[in-house]
Amino acid sequence: MITALLLHALLAQGYYLPAEAQAMFAHGNEAFSKDDFATARLDFERLLEHGYGGPDVLYNLGTTALAEGDLGEAVLQLERARREEGSALDVDGNLSVARSRQLDQVVGGDFGPGLLERVANATSEDAAGWIVLAFVWVGFFALLLRRIWPRTRGVASAAVAASALLLSLPAGGVFLADVYARLGLQTAVVTAKSLAARDAPRDSGKTAFEVHAGLKVRLVSNSGKFVRLRLPNGLEGWVERSGVTSL
Amino acid sequence: MRWLWLLGTALWALPAFGLEFSQQVNTDEPGDQDPFQVTVTVADAPQDASLQFPASADLELLGKSESSQTSFQLLNGRASVKRIQTFELTMRATRTGTVKIPPSVLTTPDGKAFRTDALTVRVSKGHGGGSPRARPPSPFGAAAPPEIDVDEDDTGSQVEVPSRDSDLFIQATVDRPEAFVGEQMTLSLWLYSRVDLTQVDPVSMPKLDGFWSEDLESPSTLAPQSKLIHGIPYRAYLLKRRALFPVKAGTFEIEPAEADVTTGFFFAGRKIHRTANSLSVKVKPLPPGAPADFSPANVGRWKLTAEMTPQEVELGSPVTVRLTAEGLGNARYVALPKLTAPPALRIYDPTTSEKLTLLHGKVGGQRVQEYLVVAQQTGAFTLPALTLPYFDPSTQRYELSRTEPLSLTVKPSAGGSSQRGSSGGATLTTARNVLTGGGIRPLRDQASFRRARGPLMNSPFFFPALILPPGALLGLSLVGLLRRRFSHEDAGTLSRKKARAARVRLSTAQTLKASGTGQAFYGEVERALMGFMEAKLGIAFGGLTRELLESRLSALGVPEVTRTHVQRVLDVCDLGRFAPGSADDRRDAVLDLASRIMEGWDR
Repeated sequence: MITALLLHALLAQGYYLPAEAQAMFAHGNEAFSKDDFATARLDFERLLEHGYGGPDVLYNLGTTALAEGDLGEAVLQLERARREEGSALDVDGNLSVARSRQLDQVVGGDFGPGLLERVANATSEDAAGWIVLAFVWVGFFALLLRRIWPRTRGVASAAVAASALLLSLPAGGVFLADVYARLGLQTAVVTAKSLAARDAPRDSGKTAFEVHAGLKVRLVSNSGKFVRLRLPNGLEGWVERSGVTSL
Repeated sequence: MRWLWLLGTALWALPAFGLEFSQQVNTDEPGDQDPFQVTVTVADAPQDASLQFPASADLELLGKSESSQTSFQLLNGRASVKRIQTFELTMRATRTGTVKIPPSVLTTPDGKAFRTDALTVRVSKGHGGGSPRARPPSPFGAAAPPEIDVDEDDTGSQVEVPSRDSDLFIQATVDRPEAFVGEQMTLSLWLYSRVDLTQVDPVSMPKLDGFWSEDLESPSTLAPQSKLIHGIPYRAYLLKRRALFPVKAGTFEIEPAEADVTTGFFFAGRKIHRTANSLSVKVKPLPPGAPADFSPANVGRWKLTAEMTPQEVELGSPVTVRLTAEGLGNARYVALPKLTAPPALRIYDPTTSEKLTLLHGKVGGQRVQEYLVVAQQTGAFTLPALTLPYFDPSTQRYELSRTEPLSLTVKPSAGGSSQRGSSGGATLTTARNVLTGGGIRPLRDQASFRRARGPLMNSPFFFPALILPPGALLGLSLVGLLRRRFSHEDAGTLSRKKARAARVRLSTAQTLKASGTGQAFYGEVERALMGFMEAKLGIAFGGLTRELLESRLSALGVPEVTRTHVQRVLDVCDLGRFAPGSADDRRDAVLDLASRIMEGWDR
């Protein structure tokens, strides 16, 4: 009873202390162990709403949705967890379980991700950005030293400056690839149970095919309430934006 | 209204005792709502005599019954037979006040008429309080049949007496005219009789399409119950009672049952065929709002329990999980939930048994499913709770009966040896700790939270931080360029600057004295000294030979001592630079000398 009152008070407040967030995380896990998936999901969603994100919360939320049978939400959150922390055994395992339960099977002409996308998938934009900053600072700092303090005008300072500035170039390339992938290659997951993909961005458009919850797609363009999606095999169609959620 | 009754002829009847003829009423103060009995007794009536019962406008005849008894007596070597006929008339007064019951009249074939006494009763409004009169003395004395208590119950009050065959009929009744699908209705078959019965053949039951039925009572011997139907006493015999469970909604006709009944005694018995009434019942569908896993067979009141034995086993040993649904309803068809377990536990097909019980005319009992469960892995497992949704007709609501989760601990088998056993025809597999992949991975139990934030590129410091270093370098270069372009330094200032730079070089040489090569050290000393003299004298000395340098210094008025010291420093520096190792021991001396030249230049 006391636990329930405390939890209620916790849920009602607008800000969680870290200890309270940990308690809510544990409560969600306990609810999951009792097959009370609705409560578990609510707890994890509240953590996200209050800024307590991270791959652990996203993974647990995705796994709870998977156990509940909500494939769209499961794939969405698990993909977000993978995007934040990279490949992990449990995330990949549950993603493959979710995909095995998916209704849609994309057949033929799977072009796969391009070079930029592969680079972006394999790297972190933030990490690349920090590396670029570090190399630029080191390189120009060495140059400044040489300029300000003639005694540092040796070979070593020149080598440090040259190396740092040269290394900043590939790091900058990776960083730009990440930025491009984020801004230019929008990936989304179908969260509606079923979505009609039309040949034109209007309700009267002819339905070309249907997609179902859990399918990962690329968003190509927007038009009103419609977005144009592209499947991994190149198939394209217009669907209502409300049925897909960007990663 | 008058009735004539032709007395039956008994072939063996001999009028040995003479005619006896009387009538009696069982109460003297009936109410106008009360039926009462008038008993007319005739003993040894002549053959083919006719009997006229009392009739009056003040009286209503509700029914009549007849019984006859014959006695055989051997007296003084002479055999005599006495035959007595008793007529029971059920009557009711049509008005209040004093009502006269006219005499009964017996007329012999030869025209002789015998009359009983007339009777008088005082009829009051409603129900009378009169005391029952004693029954007329039986001609058989102590041998008379025992009095039957009159018992008018609910069943009796529902009975509709057929206009024909009112003395002997079969009545079919159900305890309720309508019920829900799966709810019990009880069908009863009663034989009502006002005549003596010898035997009732097995009842031919109708087809009960649309019902699942269960026999509740089929008496092997007929036990009479007294029932008063519309004031008329009957002997009622329960022939059959059956529980009906409708399997679908709608209005159903239950066809009449039939039976052969033998009446009378001994050789006077007569077999009569009787057909019961048909029935119409209405079966209502179950109301909407049923739980998702509800089975239409689960109607009644049920309690589900789950039991597991043992709760701790070795790997490969079986455990028995028993699911029991107990309560009121059709226990033979109640649908139990399917046992579920983690993939590590193998569940074999269950065996099912039922046990029906009868409680206050309601069918109930228990249905048991026994599962054999064999663990494929060691560990602690939990079989989830099970629920049995059912519809309770008494509350007209859907209810849930829920079990508790079951816990099972599986330990490694002793020595890891395989075990084999069987139960219920199932052969157990070899005990192996089967670790199958797949399935949902468990949740993470620890969280390191990260505040949701945008990408680094969107943070306000990113681009300033990226531009600042090259910008600073560029800015510094520009400032230097501008300063050089727009600065107007005089010769003295430039000279001081150069002299300061020369001193800086000398201090650099100081640091190179111990660690640097000879070339670096002496080169720095030479550049410091030459730079200093250029700053002080305002001319360039680079590329001059020693002799030319000497003459220039001399021309510029440099003292001879200073010129000599300069020459010495430059010589040692040349030696140190071009013959490494030869002047290493002079580093301190040349440094000291160059320092003294520079410090003493202006003195």
